[in-house]
Amino acid sequence: MTGKTTPMVNITGLEKRFGPEVAVHGVNLSVEKGEFVTLLGPSGCGKTTTLRCIAGLERLDAGEISIGEKIVVSAGKNIFLYPEQREIGMVFQSYAVWPHMTVFDNVAYGLRVRGFGSAELKKKTNYALELVGLDHLASRFATKLSGGQRQRVALARAICYEPNVILFDEPLSNLDAKLREQMRDEIVRLQKEVGITSIFVTHDQSEALVMSDRIVVMDKAVIQQIGDPKTIYANPANAFVANFIGVANLFEGNLSDRKGGNAAAKIDFGGALGVKELLANDVSNISSNSKIHLCIRPEDMELSTKKFTGELAKNSITGKVIETVYLGNFLECRVKIGNYEMIIQLDHFEQLKKDQSVNVSFKAAHGLLLSD
Amino acid sequence: MADTLAPVQPDSTWRRFFTQENVVTIVVGFIVAVAVILPLVVLLVSSFLVLDDMGFDSEWGFDNYVTLFTDRIIPKAMLNSLYVSSGTCLVSTVLGVSLAWINARTNSPGRDSIEPYNLIPFFLSPFVGAIAWHNLASPKVGLLNVWYRDLFGLDGEQYLLNVDTLWGVIWVTGIFFTPLVYLFVVGSLRRMDPSLEDSARTTGAGLLRTTLTITLPLVTPAILSGAIIVFVTSAGEFGVPFKLAAPYGWETLTTQIFTKAVGDDANHYMGATMSMVLGIITVLLIWVQRAYIAPRSYTTVTGKGFRPNVLDLGRWKWVAFGFNILYILVAVILPILCLAVVSLHPVWTAEIVPSDMSMNNYVKTLFWWEEDSIRAATDGIINSFILAFSGASIAMVLALVVSYMIHRTRGFGAKLLDFLCVIPIGFPGIVLAMGVLVTYIKTPIYATLWILLLGYITRFFPYGQRNIASIMLAISEELDQSSRMAGATWFTTLRRITIPLLKPGIFAGWVLLFVIFLRELSISIILYSTGTETLSVGVYYLANFENEALTSALSMTQTVVLLICIFIFRRVAGKEALTA
Repeated sequence: MTGKTTPMVNITGLEKRFGPEVAVHGVNLSVEKGEFVTLLGPSGCGKTTTLRCIAGLERLDAGEISIGEKIVVSAGKNIFLYPEQREIGMVFQSYAVWPHMTVFDNVAYGLRVRGFGSAELKKKTNYALELVGLDHLASRFATKLSGGQRQRVALARAICYEPNVILFDEPLSNLDAKLREQMRDEIVRLQKEVGITSIFVTHDQSEALVMSDRIVVMDKAVIQQIGDPKTIYANPANAFVANFIGVANLFEGNLSDRKGGNAAAKIDFGGALGVKELLANDVSNISSNSKIHLCIRPEDMELSTKKFTGELAKNSITGKVIETVYLGNFLECRVKIGNYEMIIQLDHFEQLKKDQSVNVSFKAAHGLLLSD
Repeated sequence: MADTLAPVQPDSTWRRFFTQENVVTIVVGFIVAVAVILPLVVLLVSSFLVLDDMGFDSEWGFDNYVTLFTDRIIPKAMLNSLYVSSGTCLVSTVLGVSLAWINARTNSPGRDSIEPYNLIPFFLSPFVGAIAWHNLASPKVGLLNVWYRDLFGLDGEQYLLNVDTLWGVIWVTGIFFTPLVYLFVVGSLRRMDPSLEDSARTTGAGLLRTTLTITLPLVTPAILSGAIIVFVTSAGEFGVPFKLAAPYGWETLTTQIFTKAVGDDANHYMGATMSMVLGIITVLLIWVQRAYIAPRSYTTVTGKGFRPNVLDLGRWKWVAFGFNILYILVAVILPILCLAVVSLHPVWTAEIVPSDMSMNNYVKTLFWWEEDSIRAATDGIINSFILAFSGASIAMVLALVVSYMIHRTRGFGAKLLDFLCVIPIGFPGIVLAMGVLVTYIKTPIYATLWILLLGYITRFFPYGQRNIASIMLAISEELDQSSRMAGATWFTTLRRITIPLLKPGIFAGWVLLFVIFLRELSISIILYSTGTETLSVGVYYLANFENEALTSALSMTQTVVLLICIFIFRRVAGKEALTA
């Protein structure tokens, strides 16, 4: 928090229950003007509920949300503004383009509601339609549009009246893979061009990584980590985040010792391998002898049929190849190590046979220790 | 024992054509086509036949159509029909839309348990409803008016309500047809994607504006469809105007058709001409509905289950609750209670006399083995059960084959059949009955139960067909095809795969038709003769020639049987069957 400007959206202590079930618990988040923040998590993690609370489509049980200068909802102060009083725009998963109106009327709706005169209404609507590249379809009825076009109408409709913030509720998940990528890039381009504050909900980690200034990872109604895409990927706060963002090899163990800037983790691999001590990057926030997860990304793993030398020799473990999958620009090799299975990404194209014995290792700097 | 394979003999063209599938579909298609088209063609032709003054000979001409406008009564009757239909349409639409909105979109208390009762009038006889309301609110002997006079100490000439008018017809028909609008609209409101309204709110529109510019336009097609169905159905309704309007000087088209079709000075050709008027109006409106309104129905396209937005009415929810209860009171509870009370008295004098009460009226109308039982009533019950049971069974077999042809075969036959199934739904029963009458009057089936059976099935089998079709569309055609791949014949596939899968739909359709046939009046009243009375004709007979108490007893009997059927229907078809 820099504290130099008031955030565009500020959420404190958000709490939402559906009957006995806690949907959102203790969410605190502030979004700066012009920022693109993504709420990411598996289904049922509370991300959509959080978004709907911001929009005013759900009441909340505790907490406070402000948009721009004004508090839009506060359980303590007994304030609740209806969605139409919050100066927001929202894009829905099901597009929610009104089938009984033309594309133009759909987009102009927000301006009409706000009482814009016809000349300015036309100008602004046409500008929004141009932005999403639908100006040639203005008079078409919404039912005659494809999924991608409908989502563009929804987008134009939301930005047209320049709201304080746009809320995106998994807007790409109804589109097919190719279109999804195209729309994703388009939303990012538009967001940068218009500079509008955006909160984007998705369960797709690649969408989150590509689009966001900051990612809010949620699970089980709680925020797990907030950070920019690079931090989230490189320094996940816990095992859930590590596993949810990208692919992670995770081992459970104990932080046994600290030596020379590195931490030693005792991992029980089981079977003939038994307990092994591996060196990882030390982190100060974990005390010795506590339970940890050791996380290594597949691209940080090394594999060799020969013995490792130097630094790599210290973390060398022996395993058996399960299978190798050719993925075009690299090989993905699955190796059985004790009771664990590891995924290792290789850029050298070695001939590996099933059940072949191999050595795997990683640099201590690449071993991330995560608290339990 | 030659080892070489014998060349496969190609089937002759004829053999290939006469497959089980083709033979059955052609036969059934032919039967349906004849049953539906023949009466309508004969009706059209007959409408141009002019009876001479003696009533023996006839010649071609347009005189009947001229008479429509020059007659002393008919022009007024047509106008009255228009009033009744428009009024009914308005009453049903206002009630149906409000009730649908309350049940689908508000937090009015007890919605789940109340909702099924809103649909009960749909299954009961409007004719019986008219009889009940006559006993409730006719100026002299209506219970409500008697109580009103007692309460304020007024004399016998004064009254609070008078249903023995066109307004009464509109009121009774309106409350009985409300479920038609309700069903259309409630489905549309429930299936609407809630984010359509949410996005209007987030875009800046308030609740009222969202309702007026988004919700309402989106359900308008459903409302219009319901309204048109009500307009058309009430134009063809015979029982209510017969009971509440005709005796007091207001004739309608249907009561006039009835007069021309039955009785000593019957002129079937004139009846046919009037039927043509009614038929053409309804076909036009149904065509408008199918061609212009149904395709604009936005909300029925998605099969996705939505949790609709529910509006918190605050304290007003008790008003909504009260409104719904009031509807059930006037449409179901009051009429049934009134019938029950009246039926227990030897003669109804607008006074409840507990000491006079007995079951005598039920003995007279139900116990056919008793000496003083009334034949028209007891025969009516037996005949109606025969007709309902056999009619529903035959109609469902027909419906099954027709649905199969429409949805599982392609080509000209399928389209034609689909069209043929729409026609009877469009035609009012009394019109189709006139067609059947003029077609078969000189054949041996006239004055037998067969002609009634024919009329019933022709008019109502599309209802059963729709029931089956909705399920057939939901189950994959590949299930049938796999059976054929596995080596089963078409008939075996139908028996072992298709029919078992469709069983719930078939049975629900059967019970629905059973209910419709048990209360049928418009067709029966034209086609019955002495000895082939039906239950509703029995009620008509008692209302016309006996007293209100006896009439109420038979009406009550019919109502109880129908209520039992509704209970079974909901059990079989499931809670969702009609509430959509």
